[in-house]
Amino acid sequence: MKQQEFFSSRWALIIATVGIAVGTGNIWRFSRIVAQNGGGSFLIPWVIFLLIWSVPLIIAEFAIGKSARIGPVGAIAKTAGKKFGWMGAFIVFVSTAIMFYYSVVTGWCLRYFFSSFSGNLFKVNDYLVYWNNFANGSEPLFFHLIAISFVAFVVIRGVTKGIEKATKFLVPSLLIILLILFVRAITLPNAIEGIKYFFTPDLEVILDYKVWLNALTQNAWDTGAGWGLILVYAVYMRKKEDIPLNAALIGFGNNTISIVAGITIFSTVFALSSVDAMTQVSQSGPANTGLTFIYLPLLFSKMTGSDTINIFFASIFFLALFFAAFTSLISMIELSTRTLIDFGLKRKRAVAIIAISGFILGMPSALNINVLANQDWVWGIGLILSGAFIAFAIMRYGIDKFRTEIINGYGSDIKIGKWYNYIIGILIPIQVVVLILWWLISSVSWDPEWWNPLHVENAGTAIFQWAIVLTFFIALNKYIVARTLNNNLD
Amino acid sequence: MEISTIITMVIVLGIVWGGLAFFLIRAIKYEKIKFKNGEK
Repeated sequence: MKQQEFFSSRWALIIATVGIAVGTGNIWRFSRIVAQNGGGSFLIPWVIFLLIWSVPLIIAEFAIGKSARIGPVGAIAKTAGKKFGWMGAFIVFVSTAIMFYYSVVTGWCLRYFFSSFSGNLFKVNDYLVYWNNFANGSEPLFFHLIAISFVAFVVIRGVTKGIEKATKFLVPSLLIILLILFVRAITLPNAIEGIKYFFTPDLEVILDYKVWLNALTQNAWDTGAGWGLILVYAVYMRKKEDIPLNAALIGFGNNTISIVAGITIFSTVFALSSVDAMTQVSQSGPANTGLTFIYLPLLFSKMTGSDTINIFFASIFFLALFFAAFTSLISMIELSTRTLIDFGLKRKRAVAIIAISGFILGMPSALNINVLANQDWVWGIGLILSGAFIAFAIMRYGIDKFRTEIINGYGSDIKIGKWYNYIIGILIPIQVVVLILWWLISSVSWDPEWWNPLHVENAGTAIFQWAIVLTFFIALNKYIVARTLNNNLD
Repeated sequence: MEISTIITMVIVLGIVWGGLAFFLIRAIKYEKIKFKNGEK
């Protein structure tokens, strides 16, 4: 099958890929995790893991996608060997399972944008009650449908006319909005206290292993490294396109945006909070929604004496969240679509199948926040396995051969040195093993029935669901790989 | 502002924002070279 679509330029590819990386995790998850892990103490390990987890895996995804020119199932089979195509299928499944509930979250952001824009959000007395009424009703289902339909409309138009065109508008708009909010936040009275907390390290906290593990999971989460999404966009990069420099730009660009969002939220909370600011930032709330959907609306209502100005800032904040979620959702639906295209389906039919099944399978998360929390827990940790499978594929191929022939091959502007071999061969596997063990051990300690697969967040539910998916794909490995590769003979 | 806060700020912003600026400048430079060489 001859490839027909490519991103039209380096900048188009970078903007689309920044759209993958920058999601709601940069804006609300990052601030909460920084607050829960001692402010500045968290930032040091977070920067280290950018260098030893995110950037190397983004390079790997770019290289695998560009060389294989096929979605994760075929790409992993081509890189690691046909026996391991199931690993690619698992990577696709994890990101697709996240897509089911991420569409619901995208819908929440859209709903809160409309509420802010209409001014209804500021007529509320109790924001927790307001949130609970919304989340426990049927409205999330409607906004889930709107979100997934909009994204399907973009993806069905293809890479150049759909994804590239949409991200070229959405990503720069998102950056401009974040910049406006950043300037407003740091010029609020007392904002400096928030900035101080954000950057002040606590030397006792920095030695706590949990801070380091949270820094790693945050990097795995918010850069999109190891999800398979960047791999799919790399399928559409031109042959002469560079890998290492583009990958570094995505990683550093993503974390730059996290810092901008973090400073904005900390400054706002410290400037406007009448109670303990840190408790508010670090509170989790149902499915980690506390800060964004319960506390920030309250702060926006107190930002200035003018309702119009408050409505403006609240509206653009939720619009930014919606844009961030939307561009990430585009890449998740493209990943599943590409996998079906590799299976022999036409794009239109593939998008229709993914959008309809995404809507149906996202319904439980839209109607019950515990289902969403469970899926977030199970497949969020599953991403670590996805990252491990990508590193494993490179090890099977030969790390040095992969580095010299593919990463440093035709089109590369800069060359990657031997340090890359040590990171992929030693550091990534160590990080995966430590991280998985930590998740499991801490999960056992907080749930006496850790083995029970019916609990929302414990080891049992994660292992149970992974086992079902892995068994299914391992059993069907031969068929999946044969069908994918036969449809994509050069 | 405490000295430890300033040091953390310099390290974090220096690496992340400095890294982004460094790679962005290089990417622009290479794109200009490619454009000069007639690639589009």
